Amino acid sequence: MIDRRIAAPGLAWVLVIAGLPFMLEPYGLSVAITLCMWIALTQSWVLFSGLTGYISLGHVVFVGIGAYVAVLTWKILPLWAALFSGGCIASLFAILIALPVLRVRGPYFVVLTFGIAELMRHVILNAERALGASSRLLMGLPDNAVLFRWMAIFALVATALTLIVKPSRFGVGLNAIREDETAAQTIGVPVVRYKALAYGLSAFVPGMVGGILVLRSTYFEVGQVFNPMLSLSIIVMAIIGGSDDARGPLLGAAFLTLVQELLWARAPQLYLVLLGLLLIGFVMFAPKGLLGLWTRRKAADP
Amino acid sequence: MTLLAVSRISKRFGGLQALADVSFDVAEGEILGIMGANGAGKTTLFAIISGHIAPSTGQIVFEDRLITGLSPDRICRRGIVRTFQIVRPFRAETVLGNVTTAALYGRTPAASRKEATARAHAILTEFGLAPQSTKPAGALTLSDQKKLEVARALAAAPKVLLLDEVMAGLTPAEVAQMVALIREIRQRYTLTLVVVEHVMRALVDLSERIVVLHHGRFVMAGSPEAVACDPRVLTAYYGEAGA
Amino acid sequence: MTTLLSGQLLFSALVLAALYALLAVGLNLVYGTMRLLNIAHGDLAMIGAYVAYGAFTLFGVPPLVILPVAAAIAALIGHVLYRGLFKRLIDQGGPIERLESNSLLVFFGVSIVMQNLMALAFTATPRAYNFWRDVVEVGGVRMSVNRLSILIVSAAALIAILLFLKRTVHGMAIKALIQNRKAAQIVGVDVERTQRLAFHIGFGSAGVAGALLSMTEQITPFMGFPFTVTAFLVIILGQLGNIWGSIIGAIALAVVQTYGVALTSSTYSSVLLYGLFVLTIVLLPQGLLRGLRSAR
Repeated sequence: MIDRRIAAPGLAWVLVIAGLPFMLEPYGLSVAITLCMWIALTQSWVLFSGLTGYISLGHVVFVGIGAYVAVLTWKILPLWAALFSGGCIASLFAILIALPVLRVRGPYFVVLTFGIAELMRHVILNAERALGASSRLLMGLPDNAVLFRWMAIFALVATALTLIVKPSRFGVGLNAIREDETAAQTIGVPVVRYKALAYGLSAFVPGMVGGILVLRSTYFEVGQVFNPMLSLSIIVMAIIGGSDDARGPLLGAAFLTLVQELLWARAPQLYLVLLGLLLIGFVMFAPKGLLGLWTRRKAADP
Repeated sequence: MTLLAVSRISKRFGGLQALADVSFDVAEGEILGIMGANGAGKTTLFAIISGHIAPSTGQIVFEDRLITGLSPDRICRRGIVRTFQIVRPFRAETVLGNVTTAALYGRTPAASRKEATARAHAILTEFGLAPQSTKPAGALTLSDQKKLEVARALAAAPKVLLLDEVMAGLTPAEVAQMVALIREIRQRYTLTLVVVEHVMRALVDLSERIVVLHHGRFVMAGSPEAVACDPRVLTAYYGEAGA
Repeated sequence: MTTLLSGQLLFSALVLAALYALLAVGLNLVYGTMRLLNIAHGDLAMIGAYVAYGAFTLFGVPPLVILPVAAAIAALIGHVLYRGLFKRLIDQGGPIERLESNSLLVFFGVSIVMQNLMALAFTATPRAYNFWRDVVEVGGVRMSVNRLSILIVSAAALIAILLFLKRTVHGMAIKALIQNRKAAQIVGVDVERTQRLAFHIGFGSAGVAGALLSMTEQITPFMGFPFTVTAFLVIILGQLGNIWGSIIGAIALAVVQTYGVALTSSTYSSVLLYGLFVLTIVLLPQGLLRGLRSAR
């Protein structure tokens, strides 16, 4: 089921997770954490949106939910439990809204997911205000080595999920849904159930990522963990890298992490302008991303 | 033995009464033709039987169990599969991939990818599509896409196959080919077929029995010869002076 | 309770309704003819607001005078977007759903670019200016001249657009295009030209709404999106393509918002807006959208 070629890289990845923190200086480690975060998020996004064709522009909502769970259970639960619950609750949320939300198609679904993310942002904002907790200070945060190890595990899990699902029977069904949902139903693909399952699955890792994300800074800010620009970044990475298989997100994440490290601290608005331009450019001229361009060139050469 | 029973089916779309109190039975193993002018409600009827739309009133009973209101994929797993008037192949997917998908799902899902592919390959060979297995389905000619539509439906292991205007857009030679193909698969796979067809020749050739609909109402059911001579049918098609 | 029944609140609701209606009618024209979800509509209003702000603080030009310029700039941007991006997308062909999803993403990208370019130029700090400082009192209701002029100008613009759509040949062509694209083509409507006209009027009116807004609200580069959501909400509620429906929907939404905020507090207005938005899209009968889409 899993490619035998993955065994070697998988082992290498394990070594990286164990050893990298000892090798990189603080700044490098921070970049590594960011890179793993983008990989984890984009692979999870591809698992749903890439396979079913329902483009989610609001995936940050799962990150935000996981982050909030982590904040609420900080110092109450051990870290692994907080992260795991964040992931589970994010998945639960996805499955709960799946039934009404996944009946909407095309661009309306896209804009709906964005609306849901914004709605949750304001709901949590108001909830925090009502609780009188306008900014929570987090004490006793784990150091970057721990954060990196978790983020790297999430990147691994997300990639593994995509690699497993795509060639599986489930993946074939999702593919059929993307091609023609009505025809897929006619030949027996349980469309409603599958869409909900894929949506829930795609929320799990982002939920856990949210937990680690919030532990990178000493205080919890709702706007940060529900930031719509995160959703934008995920889509740009998926489009640049290509969302046809597991390699795409790796490419896209690497590319964007590089751009981000160069621009974000110095000129965040310029960074966003660039993101917007990249989105426009790739959607219009290279919808299958860099990977698509490369395979097209390969096919053209005899 | 009655396999499928359509019982007092009516369907309203806002102000339009697409079907009104339609009832008929489908016997196991037969080829039943559905005849009717445009707007007679044939495709609506198919959509209701296969679960894509719900009837306003009435019931569908299949193998003595009620299937009205079930989702299309559940109805497929019970054993009814339909093809579409305007073909709906998985365009970016290969021809083989299209049929393999159906073999992996459907009424009797294959146990493994390998088995599904083998099943798909066998069906494609019967349909003469094997040489095009690796082509994307969107690249096929219309006639081949229609064959693919039927092949894919077949791979879902139906007991009843609903064929919606399979001949539309085909040349007379292709029509003859398709008729022969359909007869063959009925034999090989012990199917029951319900066929909607506009191409009168094909419908009369293929069907053992014909149900006539007009303006959403059931007119009559009988052998092709009986239907061709019936005054009600002639009036419906040709007007008063034709009878 | 007396505050709830006050003319004050009613006046506030009316001013808001006029702005919402102007935005919604503009969106109706663009979305109705193109069927592309342009979620950058509010950002064009934002640009109109900055044009008015810049004109007044830098050159002392009154906002009401700069209105046509704001409209022209917004219309120009719309024109460039259409020529440069959307024409190309539409010409690419392919399944309609993909076109719609792709154009949504492109509009989203455009929105981000516009917002952040403005932020680079003007920084993200909210800005405001005060044009008229007078207040009139009519029947016990105190109205600032600023807001009164917003109400009057918006209403005038709306009436002008309505008359244009109803009485002129070009206007009727736009209505025809919105209702049934194919049929409009068959009866000889020049689709290209009519579409462009609708685009220009639609985006231009967003610019006008933005310029008017700048008279009473603080402006930031990121103020656009809630207005986009509002405009979409209004046209969905008022039925797509139905200009009068947009006006009624705008009044309804403005009333709900104004009185809702008065009853609870302003912090919930965002939750209300996005909640309504999500609910509307989810509950929208698929048939409505599909029927309209087949009119393409």
